[in-house]
This record gives sequence, C-alpha cells and structure tokens, in this order.
Amino acid sequence: MDKMRLADVTYAYTDVPVVRGLNLSLKPGLFYGVVGPNGAGKSTLLKLLDGYIRPQRGTVYLNGKDLRTYALAELAREIALIPQTSFYFPFTVEEMVLLGRTPFYSRLGAPSEEDRRIARASMEVTGIAHLASRLVSDLSGGERQRVTIARAFAQETKVLLLDEPTTHLDLEHQINTCRLLKEKSGEGVTVLAVLHDLNLAASFCHRIFVLEAGELVAEGTPGDVLTPELIARVFKVSVPSLQHPVTGRPIIAP
Amino acid sequence: MRRSLRRFGGILLLVLAAAVVATALGSANIRLGDVLGIMASRLPGVGALVKPTWSTAHEMIVLRVRLPRVFLALVVGGGLSVAGVLFQGSLRNPLADPYIIGVSSGASLGAAVGLLVIIPRGLVGLGFLPLFAFAGAILATLAVARLGQRRGRLEPTSLLLAGVAMGAFLTAVVSLLMVLRIENLQDVYLWLMGSLSGRTWDHLLMALPYVGAGLLVALWLAKDLNVYLLGEEAAHSLGIDVQKVQRLVLISGSLMAAACVSVSGVIGFVGLMVPHALRLLVGAEHRRLILHSLWAGALFLLVADTLARTAFSPLEIPVGIITAFVGGPFFIYLLKRGSSFHG
Repeated sequence: MDKMRLADVTYAYTDVPVVRGLNLSLKPGLFYGVVGPNGAGKSTLLKLLDGYIRPQRGTVYLNGKDLRTYALAELAREIALIPQTSFYFPFTVEEMVLLGRTPFYSRLGAPSEEDRRIARASMEVTGIAHLASRLVSDLSGGERQRVTIARAFAQETKVLLLDEPTTHLDLEHQINTCRLLKEKSGEGVTVLAVLHDLNLAASFCHRIFVLEAGELVAEGTPGDVLTPELIARVFKVSVPSLQHPVTGRPIIAP
Repeated sequence: MRRSLRRFGGILLLVLAAAVVATALGSANIRLGDVLGIMASRLPGVGALVKPTWSTAHEMIVLRVRLPRVFLALVVGGGLSVAGVLFQGSLRNPLADPYIIGVSSGASLGAAVGLLVIIPRGLVGLGFLPLFAFAGAILATLAVARLGQRRGRLEPTSLLLAGVAMGAFLTAVVSLLMVLRIENLQDVYLWLMGSLSGRTWDHLLMALPYVGAGLLVALWLAKDLNVYLLGEEAAHSLGIDVQKVQRLVLISGSLMAAACVSVSGVIGFVGLMVPHALRLLVGAEHRRLILHSLWAGALFLLVADTLARTAFSPLEIPVGIITAFVGGPFFIYLLKRGSSFHG
C-alpha cells in the first residue's frame, strides 16, 4: 500500500500556483529524491506532505486517510521534517535530540527513560554520541546536520522529509548523510529528500521525482530519469551520457 | 529533581535575605534585627509573640515605604525578565525585549495623556497614572498585533517591524505633547526613565496578578518554546500549534510588561539583559531559563533600586539610569564573549 499519496494537488501562495495538479505516491522502504530547478515547487511539495500548508485543490493522503483528519500531535508521530534552515541555540546535543521526543511526553512532563534511550540510540547511529554534552552552537556544520538528523530519527516516524539536507556540507558529510538516509529507508521508512546535487540523487536514491514549474515531469529510477535529454530540457544544460563504471548509475557532468 | 528543589530553596533564601538587607538600608538607618522583627510582627500567628524593640517611625518607614518598594522591585524585575524570555523566544530574536512590540511607547503615551491632559494637577500619584499607562500599553500592543499579521498569521518579522514603527510614532506623539504642555515636563520625563520611588502596596497589588499569571502561562508554554526555537516548520512537524503559541506569548508577555510599566515607568535593559545573560549561563531550555530569569531579574532590579535611592542620598536617581548604566557595558561584554543566538 502507498504510505503517502498526492491526488491532483494544487497550491498557490498568491495567484500563481507553485504546485499544480500534482499526482504522486510514496511507498514504504524507499529513498526518494526530488530534483528540479529553482522555483519548481520542491519545498512547497515538502510542506504539503508535512501538512504545514493545505492544498487549495486536491488531497494529501497518509495511510490512505486524508491528512487533514490527523490531529497535529498525531501527525508528529507519523511524519518528521527537516526544514532547509535550522536555528541553533545553546542546547546541548542531547537536549536537541530529545526535542525529537516532544510528541511522546506531556507538556509539563519530562522525557522518560525510554525517550532517553531512543535519543541515545539515534545519536549512536548518526555518530554523535561522543558529543552528547557539547553545545550545538559550538559544533561544525557537518556535526550540526547530524544532530538535526538524529533529532528526526528520535521521532521514530515512518515518513522522513528533508529539504536540501546536504547543501552546506562538504563531500564527506554529503555522502555520509545520504548513506544514513538510505539505511533508514532500509528499515521500512519512507524517506523523501529535496536534493540539488543530481549526482548525489543518482547515487543514493531508489527513485527520483523531477519537478518543473510546479508539475511532475518525470519519475522513476535514476537511470531512467536522469538522461541527457531530460537534463537539457529541465535544467537547460547539455551533458554527455556518462555512467559510473562500478554501479552503472548516471553521472552528471558538463 | 530533589537537587534542583534544594537549589531553588537556596535561591529563595538568598533573595529574601537581599530583601531584608535592602529594607534596612536607606537614609533612616534601621537595624537588620528591627527589620526582621517588624516583618515577623506582621505575620499571622507569630506576630503576637514579637516584642517591639523599635520606634513607631521606623515601623512606618519599613511597612509603608520600604517593604512595598522592595517587593515591587522584585515583582517588576522578575516580570520584565520573564516577559523578555517570552518575547526573545517567540520572536527568535536576541534584541527583543518586553517593550519591543509597543508596550513602553503605548504606556508612555497613556501616562503623558493622563499627566498632561486629563488628570488635574494634585491628583497625580493617586493611582490614576498606572491605569492610563496600562490602557495605553494594551491599546498599542493590540494595534501592533493587528499590523503584525500576514494572511491571518502572526509573523515574527512583521511583528517586529510593526512594533518598531508604532514605537517611533507614539514616541513622537509623546514628545509633541511634552513640547506643547511644558509645565509638567519634569513629571513625564521622570516617569519615562522609570522609577520605583513612592510606590505603595496598591502598586504591588496591581502588578502582581499579571506577573503571576504570566509566569504560569510562560511555564505552561516552556516545552513549546523549546521546540519553537527550531523554527516554525520544524516545530509544526513536532506537533506544536505555532500560531497558538505565538498568540499566547503575545497576550501573556504584553500583559506582564504592561503591568510592570504602568507601576514603574519604562525601566530599560532588565528584560533584555537578564534573559540573555541567563541563556549563556544555564542554556536555552525554557523551563530552566524562565525560573532562573525570574529570580535573577528580581534580584537585579532590587539591587539597582537600592543603589538608586542610597548611592546619592538624599538625592534619588531614577532606577532606569542604574539599569542602563550597568546594563550597557555588561551587554557589550556579552556580545564580545559571543552571542547566544548565532553559532
């Protein structure tokens, strides 16, 4: 069954729709990449999937139910979102990751032993357990990104949405981040990330959505989708047809 | 849990001790033992057992003049600091203070209108001024809250801009009023600088309910504010109703600030500096930050006000001068040490 589905979804901030008539579905256990030029509606797609904004036309489904029927707190246990910009305050790494457990304890309560255990486990998976008592504001960009991902992992949702998670990272951290996300999808989680780096998308994603001017123009495996023809049409650059000698996945280089 | 309870017990004792010492200090020097005795004699149950060793004049000074002022300093200092935590957190801006969305300029205009136009001379100080100031503060905040909405949502940047614009406009109106009706200039000017001089138990009773209720709302929202620091979208995905939090913060923070301003005038820097300093010392977790800002702000204003009335005795200087005098350099020191809002 589809984990999430968009049926004929249109959204406009002003008069001009940024997403129009979008139909797509997400299955459990796959890592999806969303690519497209600036202004194609990628971030808007994430906000629609997360329920942060509601479509003016069409419906977003989660587990076959209209997203609007979920209460906010309920939704927080189903979908985790890592937005493009994050703010960093003098929280310790552990406090920050524990924020991911917010939907699981009461307003005046404190995180339980179980919450702490889950937070610790996600710090270990993301390789930041040794930073637990450091202040997030003192960390490097790569470390912070891992803290943010650990926070989303601690939320233990079946859907994970990320807006350009690799943009400000160096090569090593870009690859590590994508590897973590792919592993997460291996546990049955639906992972969907907006990516600007087509090579990262080609190397790690199971499937790719290509958006252009608010419409879905292609969908499929990296090899099927990221062809020189499509890249010329959507991104207005001409590239030769190249393939990775080992994996056979496409390589995009001018 | 037990450790933090013991710590707060210790802090409470420290603040009470400071209050007793501050009550003893002043132009009429009253012994600490007498202050304790006078306070104890008023406690239900114990009071009858205390044998007076002090003069009636001293008793009057302690009960009518110094104690209300000391408690008012604690309440206003704590209230402004907690309101500062609320605004800095909900606007995600380190420069936000309790006055940022028009409370102080609204209160100033209210007070100026009261002093210059409506209240006949001689009635000033009978309790009308706080009501005018409070009304002005609330009206200004409502206007800013209306202007700070975009597509029906409260938005931090719009709120800040609307607050600054409203502040500039209302301040201009106050200045104009002062220029046109100069005979009361001194009153308005002193009031604008903030002072706790001559305040009574009535002033305390006016501010206390708002500060108390605001504190409870702040603690109730602490968990939401922590998550809100991650940004609006992230907070939403963690189940926080961002708009509800914004509205509650705006209402409770403004009421707290308005109540404080209306009884003490515009005391600057406390609500800006105390939350900022405490965030560096105890971190950004809001429950901790709110409770620590409460006592630290209370103690800071008590010390500042005691200095204000004793340092140049018998001349008394507005406490706002002291807070800015201490606050300015301290703030620069904090900035040099590294801001707590940006990595």
